[in-house]
Amino acid sequence: MDFSWSDQQRELLDAVDRFAKEQLAYDMIENDRHAVFNHDAWMKCAGFGIHGLLVSEEYGGLGQDPITTVAALERLGYGCKDNGLLFSINAHMWTAIIPLVYNGSEAQKKKFLPGLCDGSIIGGNAMSEPNSGSDAFSLATTAVKKGDKYILNGSKIFVTNGPIADVLLVFAVTDKSKGASGLSAFLVEKDSPGLDLTHKIEKMGVRTSPMGEVFFTDCEVPAENLLGKEGAGSWLFTRSMTWERGCILAASVGTMQRLFETCIRYANERKQGGQAIGKFQQVAGKIVDMKMRIENSRHMLYQCAWAAGHRKAIYLEAAMAKLQISESWVKCCEDAIQIHGGYGYMVEYEVERELRDAIGSKLYSGTSEIQRNIIASLIGL
Amino acid sequence: MKIVVPFKSVPDPYAGPGAAAKSVVNPFDEIAIEEALRIRERGEATEIVGVTIGPATVDEQIRSALAMGVDRALRIDDSRALDPYAVARILRALVAKEAPQLVLMGKQAVDDDSNQVGQMLAGLLGWPQATFISKIEFLENKTRAQCTRETDGGLEVIVVNLPAIVTTDLRLNEPRYVSLPGLMKARKKPIEVLTCEQLGVTVQPLTTTLSTARPPKRAAGTRVESVEELMVKLKQEAKVL
Repeated sequence: MDFSWSDQQRELLDAVDRFAKEQLAYDMIENDRHAVFNHDAWMKCAGFGIHGLLVSEEYGGLGQDPITTVAALERLGYGCKDNGLLFSINAHMWTAIIPLVYNGSEAQKKKFLPGLCDGSIIGGNAMSEPNSGSDAFSLATTAVKKGDKYILNGSKIFVTNGPIADVLLVFAVTDKSKGASGLSAFLVEKDSPGLDLTHKIEKMGVRTSPMGEVFFTDCEVPAENLLGKEGAGSWLFTRSMTWERGCILAASVGTMQRLFETCIRYANERKQGGQAIGKFQQVAGKIVDMKMRIENSRHMLYQCAWAAGHRKAIYLEAAMAKLQISESWVKCCEDAIQIHGGYGYMVEYEVERELRDAIGSKLYSGTSEIQRNIIASLIGL
Repeated sequence: MKIVVPFKSVPDPYAGPGAAAKSVVNPFDEIAIEEALRIRERGEATEIVGVTIGPATVDEQIRSALAMGVDRALRIDDSRALDPYAVARILRALVAKEAPQLVLMGKQAVDDDSNQVGQMLAGLLGWPQATFISKIEFLENKTRAQCTRETDGGLEVIVVNLPAIVTTDLRLNEPRYVSLPGLMKARKKPIEVLTCEQLGVTVQPLTTTLSTARPPKRAAGTRVESVEELMVKLKQEAKVL
């Protein structure tokens, strides 16, 4: 594995740095308080080329490899404090674009990918249901074929980008007798008859990323919007979930780096007992641990993306990267608050928000417990 | 209309203290590039040629200009520290080669703040010049340009015959950012490399830098208890009153 950048990669990553610093360093306190999705920043990121990083040029993307893509997202996380926006972009990339890239028909790719890349189409993924979370394949939502349409009935919960989505990848049961092999995936467009996207859910963190419940009442989906074959849903879900797991926290590595630098500055400036608090071993130790977590996270992320780029199965790497980064992120945020003392607990200092934004990462794309289960099963336990 | 935009690679003026100084396109030149792009987007220009002087390391800033939308670029391969007159003479040879109707450039580079090249180039070519502009419009089938200049006393509006040299001030526009698709396209655009010899220009420096020095370190301030004490210090210690 060689993680040194070519001149072209370095140039691209420098451009991301500059873009994030100059275009995305907006104020977050009010947006977070009122859960405002920044559509302008969404369009800027898409226009800049983020959404289409992994998509080939013929469908409006940039055709970059996975490692360049995750490194670009890492830079974005470093420069942009809007973790909710980044979460929305990640959901869009890994749960809508990736399944289309790998399993879309030519017609489906032509119809959706250019808009998903330029930001005019917002995508998402609807899998979890009120009674189906970690037990992902126990879905109750059904799809029945009638002529040239499928009729969907049921509901989905925790749908990232749901309230603002133009197209959702929806997983539903087409043949209950076949269990996991009876699931299928559908591209459901927002104006489909019988679809209700209006139910927003309020969250603890990443509040600027809209999340909703989605209801299907005899919802009509044209048969050409079936993604992959009928019954391929669980296979397709596993494939895109592996990508999601491995890459969705790329930006968080950059976020941790920013937080780490904030802590160093604060520890050098803040004086107690006649010296900078960074000179106290207990404070320094926390920041050193932060550094260790960030470097470990970055290596696991790059290793996973490198493997993905070399066409290797990445189940293990993805689960390990997800577990490492999410738990590091939460711990870094806790430590950052501790280092900032009472100030860190205050909204104005913008450290507490980072913790609220980080905690969800131990839940989405498979909980930490599920990641440990996957790793256990892959190391012979 | 063809526009030539000369630009300079300078240390990033927005890099924080202690950060490794990366090079960027001189911000005033970036404004000139942006204006040229807008003129082309309005359908008033057909080609924008970026030119710069420097070793191969400035290719990164050239690609940045190409990524913004400049059509092609020329680099004069010269790694010497050239003074404004030398730069103006090289640019004169380039202008003779490219025959543009407009040369649009930043009013000055932020590293040496000379603010001379545009004016010298106009003098060498015998072309009209409009400096420090905050607005440009074309008149009479693009034979003239009406330019608004920012002067100390207010705004001055002048009309120059084309071809002309126009230098840009800060408030002309806000340059677009380099997008990744732009950067990918830039890799396919040509960068032509020339030498002073090929242009038939021999440049000798007119100035020699004798020394450079950091500003003296300022001593820490002191806190005074009262206005009276301040007055005493100003009179007796600082001797400014």
